[in-house]
Amino acid sequence: MAENKANTHQILTVAMDIGKSMIRCGAEINRVEETVTRICSAYGAESTEVFSIVSMIVATVSRADGSTDTQTRRIYSYSTDFEKLDKLNALSRQICRETPAISDVQRALDEIEGDTRHLLWYVGVGYALAGFAFALFFGGTWKDAVVSAAIALVLWLLTSFVKVQGLSKLFFTALSSAALGFLAVYAEKLGLADNASMVMIGDIMLLIPGLLLINSVREMLCGDLMSGLLRLLECIILALAIACGFAVPILLFK
Amino acid sequence: MTIARMITLILTGTLGTLAFTLLFRMRKRLILWAVLCGFLTTALYVLCAQFMDHAFFQNLIPALFATAFAEVLARITKAPTTPYIACAIIPLVPGGALYYTMYHFILGEMDLFHEKLIETLRVSAGLAVGIICVSAVMQIINRKHTPKHS
Repeated sequence: MAENKANTHQILTVAMDIGKSMIRCGAEINRVEETVTRICSAYGAESTEVFSIVSMIVATVSRADGSTDTQTRRIYSYSTDFEKLDKLNALSRQICRETPAISDVQRALDEIEGDTRHLLWYVGVGYALAGFAFALFFGGTWKDAVVSAAIALVLWLLTSFVKVQGLSKLFFTALSSAALGFLAVYAEKLGLADNASMVMIGDIMLLIPGLLLINSVREMLCGDLMSGLLRLLECIILALAIACGFAVPILLFK
Repeated sequence: MTIARMITLILTGTLGTLAFTLLFRMRKRLILWAVLCGFLTTALYVLCAQFMDHAFFQNLIPALFATAFAEVLARITKAPTTPYIACAIIPLVPGGALYYTMYHFILGEMDLFHEKLIETLRVSAGLAVGIICVSAVMQIINRKHTPKHS
Protein backbone atom coordinates (compact mmCIF):
# COMPACT_ATOMS: atom_id res chain seq x y z
CA MET A 1 0.00 0.00 0.00
CA ALA A 2 1.24 3.39 -0.96
CA GLU A 3 -0.21 5.04 2.10
CA ASN A 4 2.42 3.57 4.40
CA LYS A 5 5.31 4.83 2.33
CA ALA A 6 4.14 8.41 2.00
CA ASN A 7 4.75 10.57 5.03
CA THR A 8 2.22 13.01 6.41
CA HIS A 9 4.00 16.01 4.98
CA GLN A 10 3.98 14.64 1.43
CA ILE A 11 0.31 13.76 1.63
CA LEU A 12 -0.74 17.18 2.77
CA THR A 13 1.55 18.85 0.24
CA VAL A 14 -0.07 17.11 -2.68
CA ALA A 15 -3.60 17.60 -1.33
CA MET A 16 -3.00 21.31 -0.81
CA ASP A 17 -1.45 21.72 -4.26
CA ILE A 18 -4.56 20.22 -5.81
CA GLY A 19 -6.74 22.49 -3.66
CA LYS A 20 -4.77 25.53 -4.74
CA SER A 21 -5.05 24.61 -8.41
CA MET A 22 -8.79 24.16 -7.99
CA ILE A 23 -9.26 27.63 -6.52
CA ARG A 24 -7.15 29.07 -9.32
CA CYS A 25 -9.59 27.54 -11.84
CA GLY A 26 -12.60 29.06 -10.12
CA ALA A 27 -13.82 26.19 -7.93
CA GLU A 28 -16.35 26.65 -5.16
CA ILE A 29 -14.77 26.76 -1.71
CA ASN A 30 -16.74 23.90 -0.18
CA ARG A 31 -15.58 21.69 -3.06
CA VAL A 32 -11.98 22.61 -2.35
CA GLU A 33 -12.28 21.87 1.36
CA GLU A 34 -14.01 18.59 0.62
CA THR A 35 -11.35 17.55 -1.90
CA VAL A 36 -8.46 18.27 0.47
CA THR A 37 -10.21 16.34 3.24
CA ARG A 38 -10.98 13.36 1.04
CA ILE A 39 -7.49 13.08 -0.39
CA CYS A 40 -5.97 13.17 3.08
CA SER A 41 -8.34 10.54 4.43
CA ALA A 42 -7.73 8.36 1.38
CA TYR A 43 -4.07 8.26 2.42
CA GLY A 44 -4.97 7.36 5.98
CA ALA A 45 -5.31 10.68 7.78
CA GLU A 46 -7.17 10.31 11.05
CA SER A 47 -8.42 13.88 11.06
CA THR A 48 -8.16 16.74 8.61
CA GLU A 49 -9.07 20.30 9.50
CA VAL A 50 -9.34 22.56 6.47
CA PHE A 51 -10.31 26.18 6.22
CA SER A 52 -10.30 28.00 2.94
CA ILE A 53 -11.26 31.36 1.52
CA VAL A 54 -10.66 32.53 -2.03
CA SER A 55 -7.13 33.73 -1.32
CA MET A 56 -5.95 31.19 1.24
CA ILE A 57 -6.11 27.53 2.32
CA VAL A 58 -5.05 26.35 5.78
CA ALA A 59 -5.06 22.69 6.72
CA THR A 60 -3.82 20.43 9.46
CA VAL A 61 -3.76 16.65 9.19
CA SER A 62 -2.96 14.11 11.85
CA ARG A 63 -2.49 10.40 11.44
CA ALA A 64 -2.88 7.44 13.74
CA ASP A 65 0.92 7.15 14.17
CA GLY A 66 0.88 10.56 15.88
CA SER A 67 2.45 12.56 13.05
CA THR A 68 0.82 15.88 12.22
CA ASP A 69 1.44 18.51 9.61
CA THR A 70 0.10 21.99 8.93
CA GLN A 71 0.44 23.90 5.71
CA THR A 72 -0.95 27.04 4.13
CA ARG A 73 -1.33 28.09 0.53
CA ARG A 74 -1.80 31.65 -0.60
CA ILE A 75 -3.74 32.22 -3.83
CA TYR A 76 -3.05 35.51 -5.53
CA SER A 77 -5.23 35.34 -8.57
CA TYR A 78 -7.86 33.13 -10.04
CA SER A 79 -9.73 32.87 -13.31
CA THR A 80 -12.21 30.48 -14.86
CA ASP A 81 -11.06 27.31 -16.54
CA PHE A 82 -13.63 24.54 -16.30
CA GLU A 83 -11.58 22.17 -18.43
CA LYS A 84 -8.69 22.21 -16.00
CA LEU A 85 -11.05 22.05 -13.03
CA ASP A 86 -12.59 18.97 -14.53
CA LYS A 87 -9.20 17.28 -14.86
CA LEU A 88 -8.43 18.14 -11.24
CA ASN A 89 -11.75 16.66 -10.09
CA ALA A 90 -11.05 13.50 -12.08
CA LEU A 91 -7.59 13.29 -10.54
CA SER A 92 -8.90 13.65 -6.99
CA ARG A 93 -11.56 10.99 -7.62
CA GLN A 94 -8.84 8.69 -8.94
CA ILE A 95 -6.74 9.35 -5.84
CA CYS A 96 -9.61 8.48 -3.52
CA ARG A 97 -10.31 5.29 -5.47
CA GLU A 98 -6.80 3.95 -6.01
CA THR A 99 -4.49 5.86 -3.63
CA PRO A 100 -1.60 5.87 -6.12
CA ALA A 101 1.97 6.65 -5.07
CA ILE A 102 2.48 10.31 -4.17
CA SER A 103 5.08 10.77 -6.91
CA ASP A 104 2.55 9.63 -9.52
CA VAL A 105 -0.01 12.12 -8.22
CA GLN A 106 2.60 14.86 -8.29
CA ARG A 107 3.43 14.01 -11.88
CA ALA A 108 -0.22 14.00 -12.92
CA LEU A 109 -0.72 17.36 -11.22
CA ASP A 110 2.34 18.83 -12.93
CA GLU A 111 0.95 17.63 -16.24
CA ILE A 112 -2.35 19.40 -15.64
CA GLU A 113 -0.62 22.55 -14.41
CA GLY A 114 1.89 22.52 -17.26
CA ASP A 115 -0.87 22.89 -19.79
CA THR A 116 -0.60 26.67 -20.07
CA ARG A 117 -1.09 27.39 -23.72
CA HIS A 118 -1.61 31.12 -23.80
CA LEU A 119 -3.55 31.56 -27.00
CA LEU A 120 -6.37 29.11 -27.35
CA TRP A 121 -8.17 29.85 -30.58
CA TYR A 122 -11.56 28.76 -29.33
CA VAL A 123 -11.35 31.11 -26.35
CA GLY A 124 -10.74 33.90 -28.88
CA VAL A 125 -13.75 32.74 -30.86
CA GLY A 126 -15.70 32.84 -27.59
CA TYR A 127 -14.70 36.46 -26.95
CA ALA A 128 -15.61 37.57 -30.47
CA LEU A 129 -18.92 35.69 -30.46
CA ALA A 130 -19.89 37.13 -27.08
CA GLY A 131 -19.09 40.69 -28.17
CA PHE A 132 -21.04 40.17 -31.38
CA ALA A 133 -24.07 38.52 -29.75
CA PHE A 134 -24.48 40.91 -26.85
CA ALA A 135 -24.20 44.06 -28.96
CA LEU A 136 -27.20 42.76 -30.92
CA PHE A 137 -28.92 41.50 -27.77
CA PHE A 138 -28.95 44.96 -26.23
CA GLY A 139 -30.28 46.61 -29.37
CA GLY A 140 -27.26 47.42 -31.53
CA THR A 141 -27.08 47.16 -35.32
CA TRP A 142 -25.06 44.67 -37.38
CA LYS A 143 -22.27 47.21 -37.76
CA ASP A 144 -22.13 47.69 -33.99
CA ALA A 145 -21.98 43.94 -33.48
CA VAL A 146 -19.04 43.51 -35.87
CA VAL A 147 -17.09 46.36 -34.25
CA SER A 148 -17.91 44.96 -30.81
CA ALA A 149 -16.57 41.55 -31.87
CA ALA A 150 -13.36 43.14 -33.14
CA ILE A 151 -12.89 45.03 -29.87
CA ALA A 152 -13.62 41.83 -27.93
CA LEU A 153 -10.69 40.24 -29.76
CA VAL A 154 -8.48 43.09 -28.55
CA LEU A 155 -9.63 42.32 -25.01
CA TRP A 156 -8.81 38.65 -25.56
CA LEU A 157 -5.28 39.52 -26.61
CA LEU A 158 -4.93 41.85 -23.62
CA THR A 159 -6.08 39.21 -21.13
CA SER A 160 -3.92 36.54 -22.77
CA PHE A 161 -0.69 38.49 -22.83
CA VAL A 162 -0.86 41.04 -20.04
CA LYS A 163 -0.36 38.81 -17.03
CA VAL A 164 1.94 41.00 -15.01
CA GLN A 165 2.06 39.72 -11.45
CA GLY A 166 1.99 43.14 -9.85
CA LEU A 167 -0.90 44.44 -11.92
CA SER A 168 -4.03 43.78 -9.91
CA LYS A 169 -7.20 42.46 -11.49
CA LEU A 170 -8.98 45.62 -10.42
CA PHE A 171 -6.52 47.95 -12.11
CA PHE A 172 -6.35 45.74 -15.18
CA THR A 173 -10.16 45.77 -15.48
CA ALA A 174 -10.37 49.55 -15.17
CA LEU A 175 -7.56 50.12 -17.70
CA SER A 176 -8.86 47.67 -20.27
CA SER A 177 -12.38 49.11 -19.88
CA ALA A 178 -11.03 52.56 -20.66
CA ALA A 179 -9.08 51.23 -23.66
CA LEU A 180 -12.12 49.40 -25.05
CA GLY A 181 -14.22 52.50 -24.50
CA PHE A 182 -11.80 54.64 -26.53
CA LEU A 183 -11.82 52.10 -29.36
CA ALA A 184 -15.62 52.08 -29.39
CA VAL A 185 -15.89 55.88 -29.42
CA TYR A 186 -13.35 56.15 -32.25
CA ALA A 187 -15.17 53.45 -34.22
CA GLU A 188 -18.31 55.56 -34.02
CA LYS A 189 -16.43 58.72 -35.04
CA LEU A 190 -14.95 56.93 -38.07
CA GLY A 191 -18.40 55.70 -39.06
CA LEU A 192 -17.58 52.04 -38.51
CA ALA A 193 -20.26 51.70 -35.85
CA ASP A 194 -23.65 53.35 -35.54
CA ASN A 195 -23.83 53.66 -31.79
CA ALA A 196 -20.79 53.53 -29.51
CA SER A 197 -23.00 52.72 -26.51
CA MET A 198 -24.11 49.42 -28.00
CA VAL A 199 -20.53 48.48 -28.84
CA MET A 200 -19.48 49.23 -25.27
CA ILE A 201 -22.34 47.25 -23.75
CA GLY A 202 -21.42 44.24 -25.88
CA ASP A 203 -17.89 44.38 -24.54
CA ILE A 204 -18.94 45.12 -20.95
CA MET A 205 -20.66 41.74 -20.88
CA LEU A 206 -17.22 40.14 -21.27
CA LEU A 207 -15.76 41.98 -18.31
CA ILE A 208 -18.70 41.72 -15.97
CA PRO A 209 -18.11 39.16 -13.21
CA GLY A 210 -21.27 37.08 -13.61
CA LEU A 211 -19.72 33.82 -12.47
CA LEU A 212 -18.35 35.56 -9.39
CA LEU A 213 -21.86 36.56 -8.34
CA ILE A 214 -23.14 33.02 -8.84
CA ASN A 215 -20.29 31.49 -6.85
CA SER A 216 -20.75 34.15 -4.20
CA VAL A 217 -24.43 33.44 -3.51
CA ARG A 218 -23.95 29.68 -3.68
CA GLU A 219 -21.07 29.81 -1.23
CA MET A 220 -22.96 31.97 1.24
CA LEU A 221 -25.78 29.47 1.07
CA CYS A 222 -23.39 26.61 1.84
CA GLY A 223 -22.24 28.45 4.94
CA ASP A 224 -18.96 29.71 3.50
CA LEU A 225 -19.80 33.26 4.49
CA MET A 226 -16.24 34.54 4.34
CA SER A 227 -15.64 33.43 0.76
CA GLY A 228 -19.11 34.44 -0.31
CA LEU A 229 -18.72 37.94 1.08
CA LEU A 230 -15.22 38.33 -0.36
CA ARG A 231 -16.49 37.36 -3.80
CA LEU A 232 -19.54 39.62 -3.49
CA LEU A 233 -17.31 42.52 -2.53
CA GLU A 234 -14.98 41.76 -5.44
CA CYS A 235 -17.98 41.64 -7.73
CA ILE A 236 -19.16 45.11 -6.64
CA ILE A 237 -15.68 46.61 -6.82
CA LEU A 238 -15.10 45.14 -10.29
CA ALA A 239 -18.43 46.56 -11.47
CA LEU A 240 -17.30 49.97 -10.20
CA ALA A 241 -13.95 49.56 -11.95
CA ILE A 242 -15.70 48.76 -15.23
CA ALA A 243 -17.94 51.80 -14.83
CA CYS A 244 -14.99 54.08 -14.05
CA GLY A 245 -13.02 52.73 -16.99
CA PHE A 246 -15.77 53.27 -19.54
CA ALA A 247 -16.56 56.65 -17.99
CA VAL A 248 -13.25 58.14 -19.17
CA PRO A 249 -13.85 58.02 -22.96
CA ILE A 250 -17.48 59.09 -22.49
CA LEU A 251 -16.47 62.07 -20.39
CA LEU A 252 -13.85 63.13 -22.91
CA PHE A 253 -15.85 62.69 -26.10
CA LYS A 254 -19.55 63.18 -25.39
CA MET B 1 -41.69 44.13 -28.27
CA THR B 2 -42.07 43.06 -31.89
CA ILE B 3 -41.80 39.41 -32.90
CA ALA B 4 -38.60 40.15 -34.84
CA ARG B 5 -37.02 41.70 -31.76
CA MET B 6 -38.04 38.70 -29.64
CA ILE B 7 -36.44 36.30 -32.09
CA THR B 8 -33.29 38.42 -32.20
CA LEU B 9 -33.12 38.39 -28.40
CA ILE B 10 -33.49 34.62 -28.18
CA LEU B 11 -30.99 33.92 -30.96
CA THR B 12 -28.33 36.34 -29.72
CA GLY B 13 -28.84 35.26 -26.12
CA THR B 14 -28.23 31.65 -27.12
CA LEU B 15 -25.20 32.70 -29.13
CA GLY B 16 -23.94 34.53 -26.05
CA THR B 17 -24.28 31.36 -24.00
CA LEU B 18 -22.32 29.42 -26.62
CA ALA B 19 -19.63 32.12 -26.54
CA PHE B 20 -19.26 31.82 -22.78
CA THR B 21 -19.01 28.02 -22.85
CA LEU B 22 -15.94 28.54 -25.07
CA LEU B 23 -14.63 31.37 -22.91
CA PHE B 24 -14.89 29.34 -19.71
CA ARG B 25 -13.37 26.34 -21.52
CA MET B 26 -16.20 23.92 -20.86
CA ARG B 27 -15.68 20.39 -22.08
CA LYS B 28 -16.90 19.79 -25.62
CA ARG B 29 -19.47 17.17 -24.69
CA LEU B 30 -21.16 19.55 -22.23
CA ILE B 31 -21.38 22.55 -24.58
CA LEU B 32 -24.53 21.43 -26.36
CA TRP B 33 -26.37 20.92 -23.07
CA ALA B 34 -25.28 24.30 -21.76
CA VAL B 35 -26.45 25.98 -24.97
CA LEU B 36 -29.82 24.25 -24.67
CA CYS B 37 -30.10 25.52 -21.10
CA GLY B 38 -29.17 29.04 -22.26
CA PHE B 39 -31.68 28.93 -25.12
CA LEU B 40 -34.58 27.93 -22.86
CA THR B 41 -33.57 30.47 -20.20
CA THR B 42 -33.41 33.33 -22.69
CA ALA B 43 -36.73 32.29 -24.24
CA LEU B 44 -38.33 32.26 -20.80
CA TYR B 45 -36.79 35.67 -20.07
CA VAL B 46 -38.28 37.12 -23.26
CA LEU B 47 -41.70 35.77 -22.30
CA CYS B 48 -41.40 37.16 -18.78
CA ALA B 49 -40.25 40.54 -20.09
CA GLN B 50 -43.33 40.59 -22.30
CA PHE B 51 -45.86 39.88 -19.58
CA MET B 52 -44.29 41.35 -16.44
CA ASP B 53 -43.30 44.88 -15.54
CA HIS B 54 -40.99 44.39 -12.61
CA ALA B 55 -37.31 43.79 -13.41
CA PHE B 56 -36.97 41.62 -10.29
CA PHE B 57 -39.57 39.07 -11.38
CA GLN B 58 -38.51 39.25 -15.04
CA ASN B 59 -35.16 37.85 -13.97
CA LEU B 60 -36.18 35.77 -10.96
CA ILE B 61 -38.24 33.30 -12.98
CA PRO B 62 -35.61 32.57 -15.67
CA ALA B 63 -32.98 32.29 -12.93
CA LEU B 64 -35.12 29.75 -11.05
CA PHE B 65 -35.54 27.79 -14.25
CA ALA B 66 -31.86 27.98 -15.25
CA THR B 67 -30.67 26.75 -11.86
CA ALA B 68 -33.20 23.91 -11.72
CA PHE B 69 -32.41 22.83 -15.28
CA ALA B 70 -28.68 23.08 -14.58
CA GLU B 71 -29.10 20.78 -11.57
CA VAL B 72 -30.90 18.26 -13.77
CA LEU B 73 -28.26 18.52 -16.50
CA ALA B 74 -25.51 18.11 -13.92
CA ARG B 75 -27.12 14.85 -12.81
CA ILE B 76 -27.55 13.57 -16.37
CA THR B 77 -24.06 14.47 -17.55
CA LYS B 78 -22.29 13.83 -14.21
CA ALA B 79 -20.73 17.30 -14.23
CA PRO B 80 -20.73 20.23 -11.79
CA THR B 81 -23.74 22.57 -11.74
CA THR B 82 -22.07 25.97 -11.63
CA PRO B 83 -20.74 26.05 -15.22
CA TYR B 84 -24.23 25.35 -16.54
CA ILE B 85 -25.80 28.10 -14.42
CA ALA B 86 -23.07 30.58 -15.32
CA CYS B 87 -23.40 30.05 -19.06
CA ALA B 88 -27.19 29.99 -19.09
CA ILE B 89 -27.61 33.11 -16.97
CA ILE B 90 -25.06 35.23 -18.84
CA PRO B 91 -27.65 36.87 -21.16
CA LEU B 92 -29.60 38.07 -18.10
CA VAL B 93 -26.59 39.70 -16.45
CA PRO B 94 -27.34 43.44 -16.30
CA GLY B 95 -24.50 44.68 -18.52
CA GLY B 96 -26.74 47.18 -20.30
CA ALA B 97 -28.25 48.49 -17.06
CA LEU B 98 -24.78 48.90 -15.54
CA TYR B 99 -23.65 50.86 -18.60
CA TYR B 100 -26.65 53.19 -18.55
CA THR B 101 -26.29 53.71 -14.78
CA MET B 102 -22.75 54.95 -15.35
CA TYR B 103 -23.70 56.87 -18.50
CA HIS B 104 -26.48 58.89 -16.86
CA PHE B 105 -24.38 59.50 -13.78
CA ILE B 106 -21.62 61.04 -15.89
CA LEU B 107 -24.02 63.21 -17.84
CA GLY B 108 -25.57 64.36 -14.56
CA GLU B 109 -29.04 63.05 -15.41
CA MET B 110 -29.83 62.10 -11.84
CA ASP B 111 -33.41 60.87 -12.32
CA LEU B 112 -32.37 58.46 -15.06
CA PHE B 113 -29.31 57.49 -13.03
CA HIS B 114 -31.47 56.48 -10.06
CA GLU B 115 -33.85 54.58 -12.30
CA LYS B 116 -31.05 52.59 -13.94
CA LEU B 117 -29.22 52.01 -10.67
CA ILE B 118 -32.37 50.53 -9.13
CA GLU B 119 -32.86 48.43 -12.25
CA THR B 120 -29.31 47.07 -12.03
CA LEU B 121 -29.83 46.17 -8.38
CA ARG B 122 -33.25 44.62 -9.02
CA VAL B 123 -31.95 42.45 -11.85
CA SER B 124 -28.96 41.31 -9.78
CA ALA B 125 -31.22 40.57 -6.80
CA GLY B 126 -33.62 38.63 -9.03
CA LEU B 127 -30.78 36.46 -10.35
CA ALA B 128 -29.28 35.93 -6.90
CA VAL B 129 -32.60 35.03 -5.25
CA GLY B 130 -33.46 32.64 -8.09
CA ILE B 131 -30.17 30.80 -7.75
CA ILE B 132 -30.41 30.73 -3.95
CA CYS B 133 -33.95 29.30 -3.86
CA VAL B 134 -33.23 26.37 -6.15
CA SER B 135 -29.78 25.68 -4.66
CA ALA B 136 -31.31 25.60 -1.17
CA VAL B 137 -33.97 23.10 -2.23
CA MET B 138 -31.29 20.97 -3.93
CA GLN B 139 -29.23 21.00 -0.75
CA ILE B 140 -32.12 19.53 1.20
CA ILE B 141 -32.82 16.91 -1.48
CA ASN B 142 -29.16 15.90 -1.73
CA ARG B 143 -28.88 15.55 2.02
CA LYS B 144 -31.82 13.17 2.07
CA HIS B 145 -30.51 10.86 -0.63
CA THR B 146 -26.78 10.70 -0.07
CA PRO B 147 -25.47 10.59 3.49
CA LYS B 148 -22.64 13.05 3.90
CA HIS B 149 -19.18 11.52 3.74
CA SER B 150 -16.98 12.29 6.66
